[in-house]
Amino acid sequence: MTDSATTSRRFRQRLRLFRDRLATGVISACGIGVIGAVLAIGVFLAVEVAPLFVAPEVREQPTSSDALPPLASLPTDTLSAAGEQQQWQADGRELVVFQRTASGLQLSGRVEAVPPSRRVTALVALEGGRALLVGDDGGGVQRWVTVADQAVPAPTGHYQTIGELPIRQLIALPGRQALAVNEANRLGLYQAIGGLRWQGQAPAGEALGWDDQGHLWWGTPDAASRLEIDAEHAEVSWRSLWLPQHYEGHAVPQQRWQTSVSDSQDEPRYGLAPLAWGTLKAAAYALLVAIPLALGAAVHTACFMSAGLRARIKPTLELMEALPGVVLGFIAGLVLAPWVERHLPGVLALLLVLPLGMLAGGSLWTRLSPRLRQRLPLSWAGLWLIPWLALLAALALWLSPSLERWWFDGDMRTWLEIQLGLDYASRNAMIVGLAMGLAVMPTIYALAEDALSGVPKSLAEGAAAMGATRWQALWKVVLPAASPGVFAALMIGAGRAVGETMIVLMATGNTAVMTASPFDGLRSLSANIAIELPEAALGGTHYRLLFLSALLLFVFTFSVNTLAEVVRGRLRRRYQRLGGPT
Amino acid sequence: MRLSRGEGPWPWLAAGSVALSLLLLAALLTLLAGRGLAHFWPAEVVQVELDDGSRFAARPGREERSAEGVERLYHTGNREWLGTPWRWVEVARIVEQQRPAELVVIERRRWGDFIGRVAGLEEDGEALVLEDDAAQWAALNARLARLEALRAARDALRQDEVMPRVRELGAARDAASRARLEGELATANAEILALQAQMARDRVLLESVDGERLALPLEDILAIQRPNDMRLPAKLGAWGTGVWRFLSEGPRAANTAGGVWPAIFGTVLLVLLMSALVAPFGVLAAIYLNEIAHQGRLTRLVRISVRNLAGVPSIVYGVFGLGVFVYGIGGSLDEWFFSDQLPSPTFGTGGLLWASLTLALLTLPVVIVATEEGLARIPDHQREGALALGATRLETLRRVVVPMALPAMLTGMILAVARAAGEVAPLMLVGVAKLAPQVPLDAEFPFLHLERKFMHLGYHIFDVGFHSGDVEAALPLVYATALLLVLVILLLNLTAILLRHHLKARHGALPR
Repeated sequence: MTDSATTSRRFRQRLRLFRDRLATGVISACGIGVIGAVLAIGVFLAVEVAPLFVAPEVREQPTSSDALPPLASLPTDTLSAAGEQQQWQADGRELVVFQRTASGLQLSGRVEAVPPSRRVTALVALEGGRALLVGDDGGGVQRWVTVADQAVPAPTGHYQTIGELPIRQLIALPGRQALAVNEANRLGLYQAIGGLRWQGQAPAGEALGWDDQGHLWWGTPDAASRLEIDAEHAEVSWRSLWLPQHYEGHAVPQQRWQTSVSDSQDEPRYGLAPLAWGTLKAAAYALLVAIPLALGAAVHTACFMSAGLRARIKPTLELMEALPGVVLGFIAGLVLAPWVERHLPGVLALLLVLPLGMLAGGSLWTRLSPRLRQRLPLSWAGLWLIPWLALLAALALWLSPSLERWWFDGDMRTWLEIQLGLDYASRNAMIVGLAMGLAVMPTIYALAEDALSGVPKSLAEGAAAMGATRWQALWKVVLPAASPGVFAALMIGAGRAVGETMIVLMATGNTAVMTASPFDGLRSLSANIAIELPEAALGGTHYRLLFLSALLLFVFTFSVNTLAEVVRGRLRRRYQRLGGPT
Repeated sequence: MRLSRGEGPWPWLAAGSVALSLLLLAALLTLLAGRGLAHFWPAEVVQVELDDGSRFAARPGREERSAEGVERLYHTGNREWLGTPWRWVEVARIVEQQRPAELVVIERRRWGDFIGRVAGLEEDGEALVLEDDAAQWAALNARLARLEALRAARDALRQDEVMPRVRELGAARDAASRARLEGELATANAEILALQAQMARDRVLLESVDGERLALPLEDILAIQRPNDMRLPAKLGAWGTGVWRFLSEGPRAANTAGGVWPAIFGTVLLVLLMSALVAPFGVLAAIYLNEIAHQGRLTRLVRISVRNLAGVPSIVYGVFGLGVFVYGIGGSLDEWFFSDQLPSPTFGTGGLLWASLTLALLTLPVVIVATEEGLARIPDHQREGALALGATRLETLRRVVVPMALPAMLTGMILAVARAAGEVAPLMLVGVAKLAPQVPLDAEFPFLHLERKFMHLGYHIFDVGFHSGDVEAALPLVYATALLLVLVILLLNLTAILLRHHLKARHGALPR
């Protein structure tokens, strides 16, 4: 009897322990799995991007000669090439250019294509027919591009060579690539933008032709082999993404992002620099608005505001963080942008009047009678300044048409264009700055306020005891103590501004231009992803480049946040040493 | 109290920043609320006569000052004659303005609004003889009520008679029952056709103020009102009806008119699915990190990383969702289970499931961080006490730790929901649609269609505001939608703040 009771109790005990261990295991597995999945984001993006930077390769696939399929032969004349509008003929060291017109070919010009001691040995038109490669007897290979409204093509920079021997043949490949063969049967794989991407020794023999699958066959009719050309993303290299490139149709190198080409003959332009510029520009203008507002508000809330009011104002301002980007973007793009366009002088006047108005409010306040001053204390200034500022804003807007008439000849936009050379785009960086500034402000504010109000009170009290005013105590004691936290707040704010998508998408014209003017549009990495990724072909260069943009955003925000987190952790420990709240 | 006379100018700039931020917030909310709610108000219609003798009836809108003078925007309706329902008029050219009580505004199924007069009624093509205007209006309303009754009867017939039989017919195997069902279907359809013939009986003759005439079948009328003839209670009633229709109807006219019901439905369903996914996993991960994992350097690193993931842009999660869920998992699912439908994708394209998974991933850090904060706040002696009494780790968790951390978990969930409801950018990559004719939940097996595309309030704002042909007409709807979205999100956040407050108050009292 007692025996069975003990057994059953022991059994139950064991069951409990087993259940405990099982649950622990399940929770651990789930936890690790979830955290792993979340952390896998960066890894996945890197994996998707990696093929972009795999070096191109040309491989030989030997086959027996009786397997030689019917081949389309290559052009035999290596000294002439036909483009889309032009036809080119090599003549010594010169290139003779013919224009294709309705009545036939028409000579449009001659141009020296190679250095004096050399002569052209091979020519080929690249895919699209707006560029040609010129090979010479010194092994040099150079690309020439047609330029709009010019009779002769323009040269782009020299490519790296595959040797000193004369180029025997140039074979055009899809993807604006070409295979160069020199006298020693050495092969070089060139891409229009990427330059020389691979070189190696060709098998014995010569190029035989194309089979119906688009493979190039090489060798002699008795011993032929197929060339596997593995160069899907040959136009992408780290340099080509960030430096100006010489694209078809232009006389000089340019930084462009232009993938949605209307004409399939057009060369896609993959320059990330304009997008990165747009991202940073939007973020910079947003921070220009957000930082003064957020830091000012944080300082006032933490150091000057009465405790009762602070308990209400802080959550209200933090609530602004929850405003969805799409709503702010809509207000910015459809309401603010047209309004600012009509009231430009008024808006610019506001930027001047509001800070001055705050100062004027302060100096007026010191002249008030002491009783009135008691009624309107500085600790409540956050509230009673509102009607004052609203009044000033209304006044500035009301006066602005007259200002525009006196100073800017009645139309400020024309004045800007003539006097300063600034073009005004309706949806521009200033609009984004205002809207995104409002979105980023609460983030910075909340963190900076936490840092400032976390500084142990004893520090400020000590300074006050030594006769410092509240502002002096703040500036000399509290702010330096809290500076890491404020820095962290700025970093996190910057991370948010860089990654924000909807506001930038809706409040800019999404034009990928690289100017610093606040009145120009821009296109950011994030908005670009949102626009183009749904249409990008799976696994293509464009698709992978958009993944690269996402990876860049990920790495940037992740490292900025990590930095901020480390700094904040250090600050927390410092406060603990100082004996403040944890 | 110490007077801060010697503080200098800087504190005023700081105070001004607070004031300016509050001012901006107030202005923004006022703008949204004012414009969003005013759209449904039955504004008065003005009959305007210009200096060249021409007349039109319209609702006045905003004014703009230009070099030539003040111009006013009028919503004239009557798109079939005027080409556009909007007209800018120089105020100086207006000779006379009247507000005749008999002017009607009709919301039509096609061609947008009509503004003008009712000239007569037709029954089966024959004009009715009615003595005066009041009698005509009464007759029109009576006929509209009759039409409404007929429509309700037809819809009920469709719902109760036709649809079940169609479903049975799909399942029926033997010829006898098929024949019976087909016979019954034919009678039901005949009844519906008869009802529809009755519905098509009446037409109303309309006349615009500049003399154009039009006969409109009553069936095409969605709403009719005489705003100049309405008193305040009637206007309030009409406003309430307008708001209700906005919330309960689907969009019309390429999303520039009608309501947002499918978008509300899609948003709510998406958020619910996301919560169902994120709640268990987020809480489990937090419990693992805080209660089970060895608190070493690695755990600290993981914790910082998870925290930082909350700051990673949402579009990056969208890209991840597109690459992994849509193309990766969805593509494979299509190959394995839906290969007969390829190349048209089933799961290999954006849809509800992938969108909610992406949002779940996006909000996971929020939930983990909030839950961890709640767990860390529980004093260690609570756990130690439970363990000392002989409880296992599981029992400690279930009876002591989790109940105490419950409010924190709830706060995390609400914050996650608030963040998810406002996110649009990732959804654009993983399955939101500008117009989804079918909601993802219906009576057809398996009831919840996870592969379908869906509508979303936030994307609706973007799409209607930026991709619709008539921005003037769409703008009020966008305001209303934005107001709705902001209200929902503010409500959720306020709940979270109150919960957190409550939580702090409760745990502040705990002995440390």
